[in-house]
Amino acid sequence: MNERITNDAYVRKFSFRPFTGIRKGRLYRLWSISWQWWAHEWDRSRAVKILFGFQIFTLVITNLFLLVMKDFMLLGDPTLTTTKMLENTLIELVRGLVSFQTSISGEGGNGGDEMDFGFTIGGMSFFILILCVLIGSGLISDDMSNKTNEIYYSKLEKHEYILGKFGAFFLFGNIIITLPYVLEFFLLFIGLGGIDFIQVLPILVHVIVFTELISLTYASIILAFSSMSSRRLYAGLAVFMLIFLLSMIIPFLANTGGGEVGFQLLFDVLTMLLLSSYILNGETLIEIDLLGREHLLDLADGVGIESWAVLGIIGLYIILGLLLVIFQVYRRHSN
Amino acid sequence: MGQQMEINDIITTRNLSKYYGQIKGIDDVSIKIPAIGGIGFLGPNGAGKTTLIRTLLGIIRPTRGEAYVLNYNVKTEINHVRDRIGYIPEYNTTFIPDMTAMKFVAFCGRMNGLSTIESKQRASDSLYYVGLGEERYRKLGTFSLGMKQKVKLAVALVHDPEIIIADEPTNGLDPNGRNQMLELIRNLQTDQHKHVILSSHLLRDVEQTTNYAFVFSNGHILAQGRIKDLTSAKVSTISLRIKGDESKFLDEMRNKGFEIWQERGYIEVKKTNDTEKAIFKAAVNSKVEIRYLGSRSSSLEDVFVSLFKNKEEAIQ
Repeated sequence: MNERITNDAYVRKFSFRPFTGIRKGRLYRLWSISWQWWAHEWDRSRAVKILFGFQIFTLVITNLFLLVMKDFMLLGDPTLTTTKMLENTLIELVRGLVSFQTSISGEGGNGGDEMDFGFTIGGMSFFILILCVLIGSGLISDDMSNKTNEIYYSKLEKHEYILGKFGAFFLFGNIIITLPYVLEFFLLFIGLGGIDFIQVLPILVHVIVFTELISLTYASIILAFSSMSSRRLYAGLAVFMLIFLLSMIIPFLANTGGGEVGFQLLFDVLTMLLLSSYILNGETLIEIDLLGREHLLDLADGVGIESWAVLGIIGLYIILGLLLVIFQVYRRHSN
Repeated sequence: MGQQMEINDIITTRNLSKYYGQIKGIDDVSIKIPAIGGIGFLGPNGAGKTTLIRTLLGIIRPTRGEAYVLNYNVKTEINHVRDRIGYIPEYNTTFIPDMTAMKFVAFCGRMNGLSTIESKQRASDSLYYVGLGEERYRKLGTFSLGMKQKVKLAVALVHDPEIIIADEPTNGLDPNGRNQMLELIRNLQTDQHKHVILSSHLLRDVEQTTNYAFVFSNGHILAQGRIKDLTSAKVSTISLRIKGDESKFLDEMRNKGFEIWQERGYIEVKKTNDTEKAIFKAAVNSKVEIRYLGSRSSSLEDVFVSLFKNKEEAIQ
């Protein structure tokens, strides 16, 4: 802007405030775009708010149930401690985020995606998947259909655009998935009482790492599909059908009628994420129920599916999704 | 920072080429764009104007060659370039339909590094400047095409760039909207002291808003210079209708050295000195009656069409 005239004169003449000339760094811009994209997706969809409300409601109900029943449960089982109650509740709650079809239980035999006292929370995975699809499927496809990506590319590096989109989804993951469970941890920690914080810190770490892994995996898959279609509906449906159908079909294919589970199970994203929670907990001997048939899955016996394969395949999903987004943005969107 | 560029040039390219596989976008484009306010990029669709603009903005990478914008190397200092260019893309952007104009423009400001407060202030000011002050809190999905074009201009202005590049900014606008847009572009040069590059296939748009033009065709620069100079070679003719022996009249004129031909029922005589006098003399000598006489200046379109035709024939 013209520096020869004063600010007042400037505004009077052009109805414009002169630019201070101060530009923020790249990190600020990245944060700003991630926040804007996430906030907009949140703003635009009433369904997202309703589903999030349902999730919070479920957590509150779980909390209330546990706090009301605490004394009865402690009296009924002398070996049970408040620390154990916190662990069982919270770990199973976060596992419920991805245990859609397959029923799994670890060495402790805690009932898999069901809590000790028979309170099923596995259905939450369905709502979380819908939430993720509603938020993420339009993140890139909308830019293509609205033709706003040309404006973004004239202001940002393409890698900043991609990071911004992942950042937006990651913010969503942290606010919608991780944060409620971290709050749940502290509510239970305070509500149950008599718990040594250091002793339960690994549970908090488990909750954070596991929910972040879910966010990252979903982000990669959903954004990859979003970058391939200019219609958010198609992208969302494709992701939903892929994850939903795979979690229905794969257990059927992997069911070997006893003994080791088939390698087909590696293609079931949700089960792989669920298994990663057990691996994070240091459990390697896992009872897995495929279509009503019990299988014993040893992730450390050198036969069949191993821990490294589970984590590797999740990593592969993340990397493949990311590569697909990069390819689409750098090649297809730039011609 | 690039040191080789002359101070008065806002953009310099050297042998800049972009190929999409086998398809040529631009080929060996070497230009120096002087800092004289308004610049026109003129040429038919597919001539390479948009490819050059997108290359300068780093949206696509050049196949070879180099480019400097305000002394910044487009390959190595693209973020400095982007902060100093405001871009109005050609595409009919629908923006984010359920976002307000204010939010979107401020968001674009933050992408260029403006703080939250300043981006809001400048978004508001930019929208007022383009005439959308009252509508700034309306959702973009409710905007007409003309209003959307103005939002694009506000987006280009929000971060106070030195250069504004408008790619076909009047596309799809009605005459009123078109005039408003061209008026805004003119004002940017006079009021805001911006360098405006207007890319268009419409000669009148370029002529109304700029006085220096680069003419593109088939990925090459056909001509460049002040529009007045580019069009100075324009041809004017005198059109006639006569009654009598036409061939005798034509021979008479040709014998006097005039270029004369028949076109759409008229006799056309290329205008030189004393053409009218020679026509009357020839009419008397060949005993024909002049029923109609009028001069016909070639329009700018005619001049550029002939320029494209000649240069393309030369290239081939």
